[in-house]
Amino acid sequence: MKSLLAFIRKEWTEHFRSGRVLIFGILFLFFSILGPATAMLTPRLYEMLAESYAGSGIVFTGVTVTAMDSWVQFFKNMPIALIVFILLESSVFTREYRSGTLLLSLTKGLERWKIVAAKTVVPVILWTLCYWLCFGVTYGYTGYFWDNAVVQNLPFSAGCWWLFGLWAIMLMVFFSTLSASNTGVLAGTGGIVLLCVLLGVFPQVSKYLPTMLMDGNSLIYGAAQPETYIMPLAVAAVTAAVCFMLSIPVFNRKQM
Amino acid sequence: MEMLRITGLHKRFGDKEVLNGLELSVPEHSIFGFIGRNGAGKTTTMKTILGLLKADAGEILVNGEKAVYGQTGTNRHIGYLPDVPEFYPFMTAPEYLRFCGEITGMKETEISGRCKELLELVGLNEERHRIKGFSRGMKQRLGIAQALLNRPKLLICDEPTSALDPVGRKEILDLLLAVREQTTVLFSTHILSDVERICTDVALLNQGTAEIQGKLADIRSRYRSDQYTVETENRAGMLALQQAFPLMRHTGPNQLVFREEDSKVFDIMRFAADQQIPLLKIEREEATLESLFMEVVEK
Repeated sequence: MKSLLAFIRKEWTEHFRSGRVLIFGILFLFFSILGPATAMLTPRLYEMLAESYAGSGIVFTGVTVTAMDSWVQFFKNMPIALIVFILLESSVFTREYRSGTLLLSLTKGLERWKIVAAKTVVPVILWTLCYWLCFGVTYGYTGYFWDNAVVQNLPFSAGCWWLFGLWAIMLMVFFSTLSASNTGVLAGTGGIVLLCVLLGVFPQVSKYLPTMLMDGNSLIYGAAQPETYIMPLAVAAVTAAVCFMLSIPVFNRKQM
Repeated sequence: MEMLRITGLHKRFGDKEVLNGLELSVPEHSIFGFIGRNGAGKTTTMKTILGLLKADAGEILVNGEKAVYGQTGTNRHIGYLPDVPEFYPFMTAPEYLRFCGEITGMKETEISGRCKELLELVGLNEERHRIKGFSRGMKQRLGIAQALLNRPKLLICDEPTSALDPVGRKEILDLLLAVREQTTVLFSTHILSDVERICTDVALLNQGTAEIQGKLADIRSRYRSDQYTVETENRAGMLALQQAFPLMRHTGPNQLVFREEDSKVFDIMRFAADQQIPLLKIEREEATLESLFMEVVEK
């Protein structure tokens, strides 16, 4: 346990000193403000459009902004935040393969599963902190300017998106133990997500796919019911766990 | 007692057979020089001992325990210094040693004392910068410190001096000599003067097998008698000598080489005088590890 904690501490220090924690902090704070800010600016944009089209016969009627607009923007921004997160974290294993830094830890008898565990725990904690910080700030701003009560199923839809992020991280960990290069990790992770998106076209399959968890907007509008998300939640949880469990034997067999 | 015993080790990478039934025996408290040219299989052997590569066949015993591929318990007996040790550049030397102590499962009080002691031994106790600013020599010294941290019974160093300048090389060799009392050192190299300076035992790896191994002093006396070079003034003289003494080897224009045990030097001189063969030189060369090495690899 002591060696696992030491490796987690090392990962954490590396994230701090390499500036990645700072980048994630700035990125997620930016996205947390972007939602409410876009919603606030929308009426002004319409006013400006109305002024410029005043003489052309096109009439813009008053636009009413609610908390819903802010949250719609939040769920639209999250894929970009997750892509940047995965891009920066995808080298968590491959950087060490390339530099050979794992060699000394392994020859000191550090059990390999602890490396996989530490390199999974730290991105999971970071994603959780950044995501819920982003959610919290958006919630605070949106609640201050409008009323969050109009938004349906908000905690549930936010939870679904958080779990989707965890699922993507687990895919990244699995492909990191399989591939020696960053390109391989990104191609594997991106390939599975893309495949799910493509399969999502077929209604009989889409209700099982983890990519459905990204559709938070249907939930907050009330167009979809939380029960329909139970199956994709279960599939995401099981496949994430399978990815993690498979990563250990794959990493155990990896030649360094 | 043997600290390391390798029996019938085979390893193939694709078509290339790197280790071909390697047999090796490293006695306790020896400084064992593992010699071979680049690509001879030295690093492959070391990585297989450490469980980082999977052997195709053969057995490795470290301190009497069998080493296996992957998670091998025998690594608790071993300290390893790779040829180019790579550390986490964002850490300082004390932070790195502490990290190594923690992942090895050492006690907190032991880690502090041992880190201080080793940093002093390798001369990095005053260094406060992060490792990313370290020179190659400093990294190599830190490499020795981390390898010795948990008082290993076997210290494996992969070409520790190859990339260093003469000062750095001397420092590392002095360190290896200094730790001999505490541990057994197995170090690979192709710098033969390093071996002659500090090694007690050697093995010469060629084409995947240890062609020669044993105590350095024994090997010198057993395998080599002194070598002579004879140079004649003309080709006819050289040919006449070679005809009379077929064990002489032709090594250059009008130049022949022979060993004392193969042809007696006085017989050759007498023959040259009788036949009036004009000689330019007769030179006696002392047996060196280099000549032995060349003889083995050119065989």
